Amino acid sequence: MSEFETSFRLSWHVVVRNWTVYRKDFLANISPTLADPALMMVSLGMGLSPFIGQILGLSYAGYLAPGMIATTALFTAFFDCSYGFYVRMNYESIFKAMLTTPIGVREIIIGEFLWVFSRASAMGGIVGLVLAAMGLVPHAWQLLVFPLIAGLISLPCGAIGLLSAGYVRNINQFQTVYSFLIAPIFYLSGVFFPLGDQPVLKIVVNVSPFYHGVRLMQMTAWGRGTWTEVLVHLVGLLLFAIVLGWLAYRRAIRKLTT
Amino acid sequence: MPAPVTRDQLPDVPAARAISRSPILQARGVTKRFGDVAALQEFDIDVHAGECVGLIGPNGAGKSTFIGCLYGVVLRTAGQLTVFGHDPAKNARAIKQRLGVVTQDNALDEGLTVVENMRLYARFVGLSKAQATPRIDELLAHMALEQKRDATIKMLSGGMKRRLTFVRALLSDPELLILDEPTTGLDPAVRHLLWEKVLSFRQAGKTVLVTTHYMHEAEILCNRIVILNRGAVVGSGAPRDLIQRETPGFVGIFSPEAEARLRPLIRDGWELFHQGRQCCVRAPELADLLGLQERSGILALQLRPSNLEDVYLKLTGKELAEDE
Repeated sequence: MSEFETSFRLSWHVVVRNWTVYRKDFLANISPTLADPALMMVSLGMGLSPFIGQILGLSYAGYLAPGMIATTALFTAFFDCSYGFYVRMNYESIFKAMLTTPIGVREIIIGEFLWVFSRASAMGGIVGLVLAAMGLVPHAWQLLVFPLIAGLISLPCGAIGLLSAGYVRNINQFQTVYSFLIAPIFYLSGVFFPLGDQPVLKIVVNVSPFYHGVRLMQMTAWGRGTWTEVLVHLVGLLLFAIVLGWLAYRRAIRKLTT
Repeated sequence: MPAPVTRDQLPDVPAARAISRSPILQARGVTKRFGDVAALQEFDIDVHAGECVGLIGPNGAGKSTFIGCLYGVVLRTAGQLTVFGHDPAKNARAIKQRLGVVTQDNALDEGLTVVENMRLYARFVGLSKAQATPRIDELLAHMALEQKRDATIKMLSGGMKRRLTFVRALLSDPELLILDEPTTGLDPAVRHLLWEKVLSFRQAGKTVLVTTHYMHEAEILCNRIVILNRGAVVGSGAPRDLIQRETPGFVGIFSPEAEARLRPLIRDGWELFHQGRQCCVRAPELADLLGLQERSGILALQLRPSNLEDVYLKLTGKELAEDE
């Protein structure tokens, strides 16, 4: 077996471990990721639509829908990789035991990314189905693309979570990361309103990996946009995934070895 | 309740036969610094297949640091280190495929059941499902845990968790078993059971490296002891040789008040020292101490042969000689 295959197989064990624990509390684990976007769709989408009228030629519910899938991916990835990883590392000592087996730090981190990719894709897929039931997904092929984009969004967002898990001094400090980084990213990346009229924000938001994911989701859901735009945002998302993922890996080495 | 283990049951002969010429673990000048503090300095050791080597020393002496160096979770600052011919800083995986570690914390998945935990670890160490199932059943029975296979870890007692950590370390049928304070905080029955298992593992010609704070444990399990203090080796050898060399003879332990009357009666070649508050006298023969009791009119609290604890306390400076 090649080094790549061996390493991948060992990384996959980390996914199996996380899934084994996750499914024990399946309902509790799945509820917030589904309930939050569903509630937002009902309250903001359905509730505000009649007052807002059309945005970019869409009903407000139609405008909001793709952002909800992206949001599910953001929160799934950030929370699992921040609080979740921190608890696995410091309270449950999972990695201490894992590192006595052929699994190394690299496999742990790749495994965490595979896990969060799988989880975000699944959640993105399910939210997509919910939106379809609300009549907001016109084409079946879109339901296949949503999970893929959700998975891609989870990589840089998960990396931010891992990085914060590597730097916080106690578990309460994640609240600060949420308030000053994740919440602004969430509210200002074009999920709730188009950025077209905000010249400054329109530029600043490019440093948010989430924004590129939101744009990909919107282009997919609305069936608008050029291939160049798709390419730009795809490259943006992947670049953030690679750079932040690499930084997270470097930090994890320092946390898991001495 | 398992039968008590004594030193006489040590598998000296088969283990000695199994000891091979080239070491499976070799350290030369291994040093680990954290900033200015040397957690381990210039550490040398050879461990041969079939041996059980005990690392003893106070908290912070460098025992766990060295253990960590062996499988790549602690990266040494300097020195040569090979385990099964591989450098753990470069190829930890090749080493980890052949060893089992009982970590200081059990680090079990608390929300999962006993058998779920073991299935996961069997997967981690590369066992197929078909290989894992009988192996898990066998080891759970071996550690008297078969009744608990569907219990959640949270429901287990401390002793059960520790036994399960042993099961986990043995899943891959390792050649080298590393035990980091394996019996700390356990009741005597569990401790004896675990000693039994380690001795039978050794009897199969396998190698054990153990850190412990219990001298009795080190004496029972190990054919060789290395005493560490502040990151440096302060003594090593077979338990009996160490005692013979460092603290030969017998020890009488007296109450602190007896010191003034005992002191004038101490002869050349004897030693008066303190262990905690107690006043101790070491003399070459038991008869010397019996004579001392008679002449002083004071009965010792305890008369006993010198043991590894005496060596440990002397070499780590925790035993205060009268001139200190």
